[in-house]
Order: sequence, then C-alpha cells, then structure tokens
Amino acid sequence: MNPGMKLLLVMLIALEISFTQSLIVNIILITISFLYILTQHVSMKALFGIIFWPLFPAVGLFVSQWLYGSAGIHFAWILFTRIYAYVFLGATFTLTSSITDLSLTLEQDFHLPSKFAYGVLAAFNLMPKIAEEVRIIKTSALMRGEALHFWSPKLYFKSILSSIQWSQNLAEAMTSHGFVEDYERTHYKVIRITAIDWALFVVLLAAVQVLLFFIKY
Amino acid sequence: MTDVSINHFTFHYPQSDVKVLNDINLTFKSHHFSLLSGPSGSGKSTLLYFIAGLYPHFIGIDAVGEIKFGDTNIKDIPREKISQSVAMMFQNPNQQFAMDTVVHEMTFVLENLRIAPDKMDDIINDALEFCGIKRLRSRVINTLSGGEKQRVALACIVAMDPQVIVLDEPFASIDPGSREDLINKLKLLQQEHGKTIILADHDLTSYRGLVDEFYYLDPDTHQISLLDDQQAEHFFKNFESTQQMHKRVEIPTGDDHAIIKLSDFKLEPHASLLLTLNHFDFYKEKTTLITGANGIGKSTLFNALTNLLPYKGTIVFDGKDIQKIRPLPYAKKVTLLFQDAENQFLNITVKEELDLSLANRTNTDYTQADVDDMLSKLDMAGKDERIVYSLSEGQKKKLQIIEMLIMNPPVLLMDEPFKGLDYHSLEVVVGFLNRAKTDFHQTQIIISHQLSGLDTLIDYHAAFEDQNLTYQEVIK
Repeated sequence: MNPGMKLLLVMLIALEISFTQSLIVNIILITISFLYILTQHVSMKALFGIIFWPLFPAVGLFVSQWLYGSAGIHFAWILFTRIYAYVFLGATFTLTSSITDLSLTLEQDFHLPSKFAYGVLAAFNLMPKIAEEVRIIKTSALMRGEALHFWSPKLYFKSILSSIQWSQNLAEAMTSHGFVEDYERTHYKVIRITAIDWALFVVLLAAVQVLLFFIKY
Repeated sequence: MTDVSINHFTFHYPQSDVKVLNDINLTFKSHHFSLLSGPSGSGKSTLLYFIAGLYPHFIGIDAVGEIKFGDTNIKDIPREKISQSVAMMFQNPNQQFAMDTVVHEMTFVLENLRIAPDKMDDIINDALEFCGIKRLRSRVINTLSGGEKQRVALACIVAMDPQVIVLDEPFASIDPGSREDLINKLKLLQQEHGKTIILADHDLTSYRGLVDEFYYLDPDTHQISLLDDQQAEHFFKNFESTQQMHKRVEIPTGDDHAIIKLSDFKLEPHASLLLTLNHFDFYKEKTTLITGANGIGKSTLFNALTNLLPYKGTIVFDGKDIQKIRPLPYAKKVTLLFQDAENQFLNITVKEELDLSLANRTNTDYTQADVDDMLSKLDMAGKDERIVYSLSEGQKKKLQIIEMLIMNPPVLLMDEPFKGLDYHSLEVVVGFLNRAKTDFHQTQIIISHQLSGLDTLIDYHAAFEDQNLTYQEVIK
C-alpha cells in the first residue's frame, strides 16, 4: 500500500479508538496488525521490541485503572489493549515502510513542498551524526570539568549551534546538487496512489467503522 | 569557452572594516586547472562560494563587483540553470548528501536537473564507473569512509556535468590514496572532458607540475595574485619546509616511564582497519609527535584514547584500564585539545570561557598573572566581552590553547594545535607548552602537519603508517 495512505489510515484508526471503548475491536486491530507484520519479514528483535516495551505503560495504566479507577476492570482492559493497538498499528507503518518512499509520495501525491520532503529526509539521514556530535559535546565538557546531562541547557545550546551549522551546510550542498526550491523536478521512481490503494483505504476504514458500530463490548 | 572572470570584486562583513576580499581582478581560464592557495581563514572559501552561486544567497551579504561565466554575469543565470555551469565539492565529507544511499543521492541530483528518468541509469553507471566506485552504488552513505564519500561527491558532479568544478579544500580529511586518485580524476576531467577546475587548498602536497595556474590569496592585502613559475616554486618549497624539522630525536629507552600503555590494540571504525598494535607506550613528561598522512587514523587514535570511540584491546593509563576509570576523572586527566576549537567552547564570552577553566581546573599551577601574561603574549588581552564564536579562527585557537593549558591536565593530547596560527604565535605557544612540560610535568602527545618551529618541543616521534605506529629518529 502507498506509504502516505498507510500513514493516514493508521492515524485515523488510532484517533478513532482513542474516543471509542471497545475491547474486542482493540483485540481485532491488534491481531490483524500483528498478522500483517508477520507477513512482512520483520526481524525477531523488532518484533520482541514492540511486544515487550509497551508492557510497562500498558500494565501501569491497567493497574491504576483497575485498583484506583472508577470505571472497573473492563475499562482497564480497554486501556491495556489500546496501548498495544497504538503500537501495533504504528508498527504496521514504521516496520514496513521506508522513510524515503514516504517523502517521495508526500512530495509527488500529497503535494507537500519538495524542500520540506527532502529537508526532513536529509535531517533523518543525519541522525547518526547527531548522536555522535552529542557524545563529542559531552566528552569535551568533561574535559573542561563539567558533566552535561540530558537536562543541561548547555548541551542543548551546543547541539542547536551544531544543528544550525549543519542545516546551513546541508542546504548549500543540496543547492549545489541542483536543488531549487519549488521548481519542477523529474522523478525516477514515480509513486502513485492507485485504485487499489484507494479501495484498500476505504474498505479498511469502513470495516473499522462497522466493527465499532456493532461491537460495543 | 567559459572563462570565469572576476572583476573589481570586494567583499566585507557589514560590522567589520577589514575587507575579506579586496578588489579582486582575475580570470580562471577555461579548461585549466587553477589552484588557489593562501593560509586557512584568508577568504578562499568565500570567493569559491560566490563563484559556485551559493553566496550571496546563503550569507545574505552581497559583494561589490562581478563574476562572469564567459560573457554572462552569474547573477543573470536563472537559479535552475546554474548547476549546468558550476558545481561545488565541499570540505566536510559528512554534510553534502541529502539522501541515504549513493544511488538515491545521484538520482536526487539528476531529478533536480530534470533529466528524463529513462536516461538516469546510464548516467549514474557512467559516473560511478568514471570514479571507480561502482561497488558503492547501493551503499548507505553514512557507512562510507571520508575518502569514499568524497569520491561519491565527485561522482555526483560528474553526473551533473557542469562546465566549472569548484572545490573547497576537498582533501582535508581523506587518506593519501583517495587524495591522489581524486586529483588524477580531476586532471582527467580537465584534459579529456574540457572542464574548468578551480581548487582551493592551503596544503600544497602533490600539486606541483599538475596545476596550470597557481593563485595566491595574500592574507595581509586580501588580494589574489597569479604567480609565475618561479614564485610558485618558491611557495611549494616554502610549504615543504614547514613540513620538515631539522632534528633527530631519540628513540625511547627503557629508562622512561610509560604513562599510557596500549596492548593487543586494534582500531577499526566503519569496518575498515586503521591500526593494529601489539604493544605501544606513550611516555611520561615527554612530548611525542605523531606524524602521518591525512585520513590515516591519527585523530581516530585520539578518539580511542579519550574513550570517544570503541576499540579492541586495552588502554592502560597510570596502571589502570581506562574502561575502569570513571568518565569525569579520566577526562580531567587525559584531555584532548580538539582540532576544531569550537568543540571546546561551552560558554558565550571569552571571559566566561576563561573563568570556567579557572573554576574547574585540577590544580592552581597557573596564577592569574600567568594567565594575563599568556593572553597578552598571544594578543588576546582585552577581549573579555567578545563572543567566542565571533573570533577569527586564529583567535579561537589561541583562546582554546590558553584555556586548556589552565586546566593543566597531566596528559594533554593535541590534534593539529598550530592550524591557523601565524608563525610568531606558534613560537609563543611552543614556549607555553615547554613550560607546562618542564615546570608542571605535563605529558604531551601532538598530531601536527606543521613541523617547522617545533624543534625545541619534540622529544619523541611516532610515525603512523601501514596501520602501524613506530618510534623513529628521523622526522620527515
């Protein structure tokens, strides 16, 4: 499915289950998402991650609602499954779509300005360098006798300073590579929203409405 | 024929009286390989950015005068057409790609130029082939070495096929093999493909006999002159002499005390082996000079010594494995003077920076009078309220050296500490370092390409080559 449509669909469904209270629909969403992820050859590590890490907030919410809430254990289970529904829905997007394809479709089909699409992409590709830079800033501060923690304003000041410098360099490099804001470009990989994408989008969204309408438990 | 002609070109920052470029008049000839030299920070980059059409857009300050490609003023070339005339290769290999993989970046470039999609594969393959990097086609750019990244940058330019190629110190951080290969490729582009090459570099290694014109940007007059063969030869000889030191040093003997011991040591970031050492010692209260080609791994070794990068094997400092020493105490004992001075700054003004060092230093060997004396000797006195980031590169370096001397760590690692310093300042700094060693028992390890003027300082010399580090008597 087109990554832009997929993102939109996932966000719409996630928004809906935030305002509805159906345990069974949550479980159905989790099951379907999980089955979909399984067909996409995702690594065991990623799979373990999406099952294990949400356990903490999910159990936390469950326990506080069950023991201290006024709406009872049924609502506690809804909160518990809702966390997993969010994570699994999100994973159907993040684990199976490439950020590059997403920016391509955002630029070509959703008519996002190309500077935004490629700016985000460039920033995303800079992430490992940013982590490295933060380590350098911290070590260099230690050498001046200061331990910077993640809450230290100086760490942010230095990081922001570096980011400004980098974004400037990157903008210059993109310009030097022929990129002109808001000017027409050709596309090697054309990403279209096909009839199948639309059909899937409408059918899946409708199916969720039907489920939510009929299953109130 | 597209000569790049520059007429009465003057540039200065609004708040400053000093002209970075002062009434420049010259013509970079079409199909020629021109070298523009001059000390770091003298304004070479500024001119190049104007030629590449990046300035004034990215700096917001316009210059007086004009730059013409053939008969066309660069300002009359529409923005979307400029890449057909000129493309630029940057100094920092890490900040010139927007996309994740090599092929995606090259596709991005061709899309920008509105090339028909069915022609892209051939253009990309030819460009990769020309640069000898077909095997890198699908690689993720972040996993490439500096030398490989610069080859990818050249491949992008080859695919763009501009008339003029501008390069701003493109070899500053890449290994000698890549450097030589890239220079040969540029020569080929000039001779076989009729490109005009304009390259700025303060490091003159391997340009002799290769460049057609040698331009020099004088840091005092801020003007550029074309040198004749004799003058050019003078500059080449002069540069070579800064890379030499007429001194034989001792090989360490058993009498010295080792302060840092490396054993079964292996350094291989990005899966490429840089250094293997069965055993190597650095000695207490000595100044060890490490020499070796660019990009060979000298700075990476410092990163390992300061725990910035993972390594294999063990590093023992003062009898203790450095992995077992807590980060803060270790950082105050084995301290790195970063190559980029800005990396060292944590505060805004010069005074705040100095105060930080005075507050956090491990000992009070330097008195306030010493500090004032150092400041005035390096012509840094009375700049208390200046914002550190607004200082010139040379001033940043001086401030950085002073504040790290005040910290007075037992071991000071210095990565190109003399870069951007004039010769007089270098002599003054060498005096400070000698004092730190003899009076305060500091151990110093220095990476430097600049060798002249260091005779009185260096005790030992370790040469870094062929993935090995060995003590040698001769420095070359």
